[in-house]
Amino acid sequence: MTIRKWNAAQRIGLSAFLLLTLAGVSPGAQYEIKEMTPEVKTALENRRNRFDQLQAFETQGVLGENNRGYVDVLQHHPEARALAEVENKDRRTIYQTIAQQNNLTDALETIEKVFAEVQREKASPGKKIQREDGRWVTK
Amino acid sequence: MIKNNLEWFFPILFLLTFYGCTVKAVGDPQRPITIQAHITVDVKGLQQTATNIEDFVSGEKPEESLKTKPQ
Repeated sequence: MTIRKWNAAQRIGLSAFLLLTLAGVSPGAQYEIKEMTPEVKTALENRRNRFDQLQAFETQGVLGENNRGYVDVLQHHPEARALAEVENKDRRTIYQTIAQQNNLTDALETIEKVFAEVQREKASPGKKIQREDGRWVTK
Repeated sequence: MIKNNLEWFFPILFLLTFYGCTVKAVGDPQRPITIQAHITVDVKGLQQTATNIEDFVSGEKPEESLKTKPQ
């Protein structure tokens, strides 16, 4: 390999890559739960344990996935409301943990919106989801 | 050798102009200057994390899936 044979565009590209890498802004950054704290572990397990119950309420149209990464109560139902409250509390714990452990505390809203998008994609047909523009639709 | 290095000088200088930003604040210490910091989030990486977590919650994947694998 001879550096002299590289053209200007290639040199600029390589320079950009090196600079971005050194600056810690590498393309394709990975975010994760770096440390499984007791709080986030409990939140994840709680969510997993109540998943079937949540799905049942969502299938009935009592609960729906809003566009901010949380569950909304769409019909009067005290039991569903109580479930939504604890579910949303656990979701918030997870989102905040990701933000804190990946230096994204100023991007909590972005994290919530990305989760909302994934939750919309994973919602099965017949469930209520809130689109990004705010409209509620049945998937 | 020097000639080779010179070929790299201008592209690197050009990039440093845009990426190597230095803020120098001169003023009254009683009136602090607020600097708006903008962070860039790699949404694609975040989507993968979110997918892994939602897959774990739904029981599709084990806890090990919560650790993002390097691409």
